[in-house]
Amino acid sequence: MEYVTSLFSVALLASAIRVTMPILLASLGAVHAERGGVVNIGLEGIMIMGTFFGAVGAYAFDAQFPFLAKTWPDLAPLAGVLAAIAAGLLFGLIHALVTITFRVDQIISGVALNLLAGGLARFLNILLFEKATQSPGVRGFTPIDIPLLRDLPALRPLVTGVSPIIITGVALVAVSQWVLRRTRFGLRLRAVGEYPLAADTLGVNVYRLRYAGVLLSGALAGMAGAYLAIEQAHLYFEGMTQGRGFIALAAMIFGNWWPVGALGASALFGYFDALSLRVVRLPVPYQFINVLPHIVTILVLAGFVRRARMPAADGVPYTKEEE
Amino acid sequence: MSDLFIELQGITKRFPGVVANDRIGLAVHRGEIHAIVGENGAGKSTLMRVLYGLYQPDEGAIAVKGHAVTIDSPRRALELGIGMVHQHFMLIPVFTVAENVILGSEPVWRFGRLRMREAQQRVAELCRQYGFVLDPAAEVGSLSVGEQQRVEIIKVLYRGAELLILDEPTAVLVPQEVDELFNNLRQLVAQGKTVIFISHKLDEVLAISDQITVLRRGRVVGTVPAAGTTKAQLAEMMVGRPVLVELAHPPVEPGPVRLDVRQVRVPGRGTRPAVRDVSFAVRAGEIYGIAGVEGNGQTELVETLVGLRRITGGRLLIDGRDVTHATARAIRLMGVAHIPEDRHRRGIALPMAVWENMILGHHTRGEFTHGALLDRPAIRGFVRRRVGDYDIRVADVEAPVLALSGGNQQKVVVAREFSFAPQVLVAAQPTRGLDIGATEFVMRQLLAARSSGMAVLLVSANLEEILSLSDRVGVMYGGALVAEFARGEVSAAELGLYMTGAGRTGEARAG
Amino acid sequence: MKHRLLVLQMATPVLAILFGMLSASVIILAIGRNPLDVYAVMVRFNLTRTDSLFSILFKTTPLIFAGLAVALSFRVSLFNIGVEGQYYIGAFCAALVGFSMRGLPAVLHLPLALLAAAVGAMVWALLPIVLKLRRGAHEVITTIMMNYIASALLLYLINDVFRDPTQIGTPRVRTPLVAAAARVPSLGPLLAPLGLHGSDVEKLNLLLPVGIVIAVVLAYFLSRTRFGYEVRAVAFNPLAAEAAGIPNARVQFGMFMLSAGIAGLVGLNDILGFFGYLDIDFPKGLGFLGISVALLAKNNPLGVIPAALLFGFLDRGAAGVQFFARVPKEIIVILQALIILAIVVAYELLTRYVRIQRKREAELPVTAAPVAEATGR
Repeated sequence: MEYVTSLFSVALLASAIRVTMPILLASLGAVHAERGGVVNIGLEGIMIMGTFFGAVGAYAFDAQFPFLAKTWPDLAPLAGVLAAIAAGLLFGLIHALVTITFRVDQIISGVALNLLAGGLARFLNILLFEKATQSPGVRGFTPIDIPLLRDLPALRPLVTGVSPIIITGVALVAVSQWVLRRTRFGLRLRAVGEYPLAADTLGVNVYRLRYAGVLLSGALAGMAGAYLAIEQAHLYFEGMTQGRGFIALAAMIFGNWWPVGALGASALFGYFDALSLRVVRLPVPYQFINVLPHIVTILVLAGFVRRARMPAADGVPYTKEEE
Repeated sequence: MSDLFIELQGITKRFPGVVANDRIGLAVHRGEIHAIVGENGAGKSTLMRVLYGLYQPDEGAIAVKGHAVTIDSPRRALELGIGMVHQHFMLIPVFTVAENVILGSEPVWRFGRLRMREAQQRVAELCRQYGFVLDPAAEVGSLSVGEQQRVEIIKVLYRGAELLILDEPTAVLVPQEVDELFNNLRQLVAQGKTVIFISHKLDEVLAISDQITVLRRGRVVGTVPAAGTTKAQLAEMMVGRPVLVELAHPPVEPGPVRLDVRQVRVPGRGTRPAVRDVSFAVRAGEIYGIAGVEGNGQTELVETLVGLRRITGGRLLIDGRDVTHATARAIRLMGVAHIPEDRHRRGIALPMAVWENMILGHHTRGEFTHGALLDRPAIRGFVRRRVGDYDIRVADVEAPVLALSGGNQQKVVVAREFSFAPQVLVAAQPTRGLDIGATEFVMRQLLAARSSGMAVLLVSANLEEILSLSDRVGVMYGGALVAEFARGEVSAAELGLYMTGAGRTGEARAG
Repeated sequence: MKHRLLVLQMATPVLAILFGMLSASVIILAIGRNPLDVYAVMVRFNLTRTDSLFSILFKTTPLIFAGLAVALSFRVSLFNIGVEGQYYIGAFCAALVGFSMRGLPAVLHLPLALLAAAVGAMVWALLPIVLKLRRGAHEVITTIMMNYIASALLLYLINDVFRDPTQIGTPRVRTPLVAAAARVPSLGPLLAPLGLHGSDVEKLNLLLPVGIVIAVVLAYFLSRTRFGYEVRAVAFNPLAAEAAGIPNARVQFGMFMLSAGIAGLVGLNDILGFFGYLDIDFPKGLGFLGISVALLAKNNPLGVIPAALLFGFLDRGAAGVQFFARVPKEIIVILQALIILAIVVAYELLTRYVRIQRKREAELPVTAAPVAEATGR
């Protein structure tokens, strides 16, 4: 019986939300890329870059500007986040260039990016820290206690010690949902993912919008990695993303390509992820608990793909008429 | 009808290997309905893309309202008041009418927030002004073809177009919808708009236009007033020689029933079946034509007959044998040939070589194989013979078939399907996208098939084709076979009524 | 014209490789080393030492299998990214058969082990392909998930279930030794009469020629048989293939299973050919290298052999670069990824160029019609 209650405790929920953030942010990025019609399998690689540059950025800032870092302790982690976003944008740019301008198959480009990111992370880590597999530790952001709600004891684990990135992430979901539904950019982005030729004939710049979607996905995946390294693990170590970049894609599909849906789906995955961290006395060997999210991903894809409706031109490179 | 709205002089556009537009001159007056006719490949669509800014002419000048202009993008064309209504609708099915209309020219508040209410009001206003019936909040995917076309027209009117270019607008409409469209055009013109109308349907062109310009092989053959010109004159200008309008339809004694369709029911998307209890039979030596507007179940019916779709009710017999649940392969081996309605989709694999496409579906035959291996010399011989028999213009059979013209691609399909003496031929929209020469060829082949004893099922949205070829005609509407006639018993207009759901009872079509 | 096309087709991969090397040079420069120096060291290290030459061949062997496995799946428009997990499972099954059965003659034991590897990998690939064909689940994500699960499974099996009891107490975590009868014979005895000796020569095993033979057989199979024709049709236009009576799903399933079966053999070069046991630190990442090999080879089985050689060469060069040029050996991984990016872009551009040229020539000049019509509707 205590199993069951422990499965639904507030503490677990709080843990789930924290654990969900990388998947959520990456998934949000994926939504933007695919709404524009570009599949970004390379999110895992970009997330890896995000974890690396997030940790290194924070560490380097601390090392280079110790006075600033001490006066405003949130600057170092912020530097890490910005570095991660920059790396994400760069990789997103490469993916966009290869798939939109050169029209290479999007899956292949994504796979190549993952290879590049993996190698680059290892290489740079050795170069900087002489250890192939992990960086020195970094501090995270000052945790925030949500005012008013923090005084409710039942909710305490949920609303105290919240990372600012979590708050940013949830806010981003709301903003993206609104942007996609109610703004000109959102309308055009969706048009480009559904029927790029139609949009083109109306003067909409298909290429520019697709670039925007992919760059956003890169930035968000970078942020996802930064959160993972800075706020969760407090360092970078090789393989820490554990396939979350791919799980994020499944969350996007499960969420029917809407930001709010991605939030719900990521929450589900985060829940299983958090569960895997907490369960101690289960008859199943611990190695399998680690891959619980991966098993859930397969189940999700097996069960729910048919019901979802993806953007009609998703995954199809666009060629302007005269070329 | 006084001043010139748009004038083209010496427009030339070249592509690798061909001159699509060769020194074309055109003068269209304000308030005029000006038609441009020509065969497929005559250069009509290229010219329109030049006018609309999708292509840049290599030579020549364009003047709008007396001023020389360069139209370097669709946006520029719209600024000049030129709006294009595409043949293949550029509409996003999941967006609403209003969203489709405003895309690219959206009214916005700060931060790009859409002013949807204003957009919907404007669309409603335009509809009222020109007598269109449309709901701005309706999802475009749920609209009928005629309604979707109206959305396309509203799109250009919303952007202040004064000149509307319509590209083959009647290709997908039944006679009644064509009448509605023409009424709309007349109303537009009455309010000061100008219309350029591209078509190869000479009857319609003569009915609606003021002036007609004929293109052939990239050049202007001439510009004539519609009044006083005959269809035969136009056809001759288009092709350069007198056109055979009548094909010989010799009497053929029909043989045994080859294709027997009994109460066939095929599920559709959602609750309504795509094909509802359709029954008919086709005998050897006859052509059974099924007329109908696309989207009334013909596609699903054809796919079912060739084994590509499941039947959930009824039976299908070929030569007396029950094939209700047979695979596509089994049906093919029983001697059923299939000319698909979209050759690029179901007929040929574009990147594959011409010779590979020529044996697609027959690649397992003993003539072409030695056990598990392909017998290349035997295949080559076969392909060579077919290329000769059907006069397929191809320099190298190893080249991918995408390099061939549409007409030659269709010839590859026809050559392949007619091989090995099929008993039944299912031909869906076989002349779609083909020029007059290729169309004539295909129609002759269908008649030859009929004379040689094949049972031919012809599914087409082209009424002329159905009426001139078929021994019996059926009409599909809403997934059901709503009428059946023998040759000569029915006119095109009457068929049109059945095709839109109004029957002999004279009911007006709802909505 | 055909001549010019052929030259272009050969030049493209070379140019792409050069471009990859150029991009990697930027990174090398950024860390203060001389790229020319680095490349020179790599070439010298690889080509002037006999131990290097055989080491390259040894490293090439699993890459041939991995490249073939990926290429086969790409041929039917399926992305078998799960080669990595499939070869883990295959390696384990082979090791299991190897160490759990005793007293079998080599002529039985070895083929049994190989069979176990192939079948194990095929079973591992069943779920993704069935989910794809039945439910449309994207095989990229499902196979990647299976990779992670395979990794976890292997950790569990090697560590908790089948750990060699003689090794407990040491940092070595591995399965028991495989029976000698299950080991792949070395090529040493064959090469000795040629005057080639040494531990590196003996490392080479029968799997290398076996891999090459399989590549040749597959090339023939795909280009000359009926099934190979159907594979092409399914890849180029599955709808038309279906209309022609080709059983698409069966063709895709067959190729995917074949792909997985070959993937299962990837790890055997190390497990049955060299080590004789499955260690928790057995060579990983070969599956992803296989993807690179297949892309470079353009999914052509014969092309996989030189492509695998290139990657084997680069892999060996990593050691030399690290030791002699003092650049972290991971630069090689970066180089490999950059080459792949350059390759796929270059191939895409080439394909497009060829298509335009083909369009121009395939038709006898008739009217002003052809191209306008093709681009029109």
